[in-house]
Amino acid sequence: MIVKKPLKNFILAIGWVISCCSPLYAAEQVINIFNWSGYMPDDVLMQFQAETGIKVNYSTYDNNETLYAKLKASPQVGYDIIVPSTYFIDRMRHQNMLQPIDKSKLSNFKNLNPELLNKSFDPENRYSVPFLWSATAITLNTKYWPKGSVKGWNDFWQSQYKDQLLLVDDTREVFSMALISLGYSPNDTDPNHIKQAFEKLKQLMPNIKVFNAEGEKSIYIDEDVTLGMGWSGDIYLAQQENPALEYIFPKEGFIIALDSMAIPFNAKHVENAYKFINFILRADIAKKISMQTGYATANLAGVKLMPKEIRENPIIYPDESILARGHFQSDAGASSTIYEKYFQLLKIGG
Amino acid sequence: MKHDKTFKFITIGIIWLWLAIFAVAPNGLVFLTSLLQQGDNELVRLQLTLNSYFDLFNTSYLKIFLHSLGLAGCCTLVCIIVGYPFAFIIARSTSRYKGFLLFLVIIPFWTSSLIRSYAIVAMLKTKGILNSLLLSLGLIDQPLHLLYSSTAVMIGLVYSLLPFMILPLYANIEKLDMRLIDAARDLGANKRTVLLKIILPLTWPGIIAGSMLVFLPAMSMFYIPDLLGGAKSVLLGNLIQNQFLTARNWPMGSAVSVMLTLLMGLMLMLYWHSTKRNKDAQDLL
Repeated sequence: MIVKKPLKNFILAIGWVISCCSPLYAAEQVINIFNWSGYMPDDVLMQFQAETGIKVNYSTYDNNETLYAKLKASPQVGYDIIVPSTYFIDRMRHQNMLQPIDKSKLSNFKNLNPELLNKSFDPENRYSVPFLWSATAITLNTKYWPKGSVKGWNDFWQSQYKDQLLLVDDTREVFSMALISLGYSPNDTDPNHIKQAFEKLKQLMPNIKVFNAEGEKSIYIDEDVTLGMGWSGDIYLAQQENPALEYIFPKEGFIIALDSMAIPFNAKHVENAYKFINFILRADIAKKISMQTGYATANLAGVKLMPKEIRENPIIYPDESILARGHFQSDAGASSTIYEKYFQLLKIGG
Repeated sequence: MKHDKTFKFITIGIIWLWLAIFAVAPNGLVFLTSLLQQGDNELVRLQLTLNSYFDLFNTSYLKIFLHSLGLAGCCTLVCIIVGYPFAFIIARSTSRYKGFLLFLVIIPFWTSSLIRSYAIVAMLKTKGILNSLLLSLGLIDQPLHLLYSSTAVMIGLVYSLLPFMILPLYANIEKLDMRLIDAARDLGANKRTVLLKIILPLTWPGIIAGSMLVFLPAMSMFYIPDLLGGAKSVLLGNLIQNQFLTARNWPMGSAVSVMLTLLMGLMLMLYWHSTKRNKDAQDLL
């Protein structure tokens, strides 16, 4: 076949552009990481690059749904590391979107906190390696209510808290709270139990002042609400500005949000992914990440390197007896539509 | 002459291409998606169905529609009541101040409306500017709890959308022929009759245009009820976002989106109709 010269040049040019853009054809070692925003200090990535010579392509997302939609919409995009939350690990492993993790390649796996391993969302951690975590528990302003007056979720329903509460604006978190207060598992998929939780939440509506997902820290600091749900990392920071805030791990149990590293099924640089995970699992690196991002690390050896006031802070690192009351979210599967339906019904008043 | 034609062809062609790629194609995709089925493992299942549209008549979605319509309607009404006299005053003020007054209406557009909503949060919150001012003046002794209430949502919506009501009204009232009012007075009409029979009918297109510019955004400006109202209610904007991201029901989200577009089309038709009628009436004059 005779190809005209300009056309040939054009094809060559395109080939050149593709080989430059696509890491697949690049001669140098690379790794493509897709992580939560604000979850990785730049100097950690630079240190990895300097120590291993592997070039890091780093991009970020703001919620699990975005990550999931992106992987579904363009499966060939070729990320080597992603960091979904528990229930998305669960969904993705069921949909064959993840590779099993070969732990013999991760010499630092032993550094992880056993309390955070082998949970129902991923038994024996076949697909995921815990990274950072936080808890969803109760925040109380002791300027308005006596210290220790709230012990569990069920106290939210008292009529004295009319128009005082903040709930996080997240379907699963709100229903987990209600399900736990009813004595059910936060991962319940029984439509009857979800309906009961909905009925119970409907009674709570007069007490709810705001649903919020991003600015809860400043709302608690400004005292626009005096009681409600709060994420441990946020409340730890809020407490430094407003010491009247008290953080309570409810007696009925609470939710632990854990984000774990995983390797997508079609990752192109699997060996580099293992090198990266093992690097992150190093105690000194885990400490660095946790101290700079403000989130609790799943790395017990890393925690031991931290200053005493952080290591023993009851908000960030509650002791093991409290941690034992924590629940991990797993995928609700087909029930997630039911959850969504009831959450919308709740907001439009039944 | 031929050169002129080529130029015309190219400019119009570029605009057509632009609209085709960035307006027609995405809307077509949304419409197509609304006819598909929700998938378990994939985003959508390639099977044609009208189910998403039938589901729209589910009571909870109807409630969201009604709630959005009600809120947007209230907001439009408040904007008319506040904006009409204001536009009238600007249009009838001496030309020395006119430019300056219009300038004041336009200034807020220099900042993103999201940022302005955060500014309203800073003003209304318990430890905010308004409360500290009222407290220091001794007008109240307990801070007002304004933020995260329906009052705050209304304040936010009216504040953001009022210029869209004032500007079309101003354009319309300015054109109003004052001699008609004088004539009506000469013929013995009282103030009420002048307002109802002369001024309002003649500025009607302005009211309709303003209402359209206020009504539709008020239904889809989801961040204002979220930020100022505490996200306690669901508007159409929230519903669409939620169906796409959280519920992962793309066909449903698309169906709601298509309905919103249809609603807008309907209102545009009404507007077109009313201006046409007005023009016919003016031609008769």
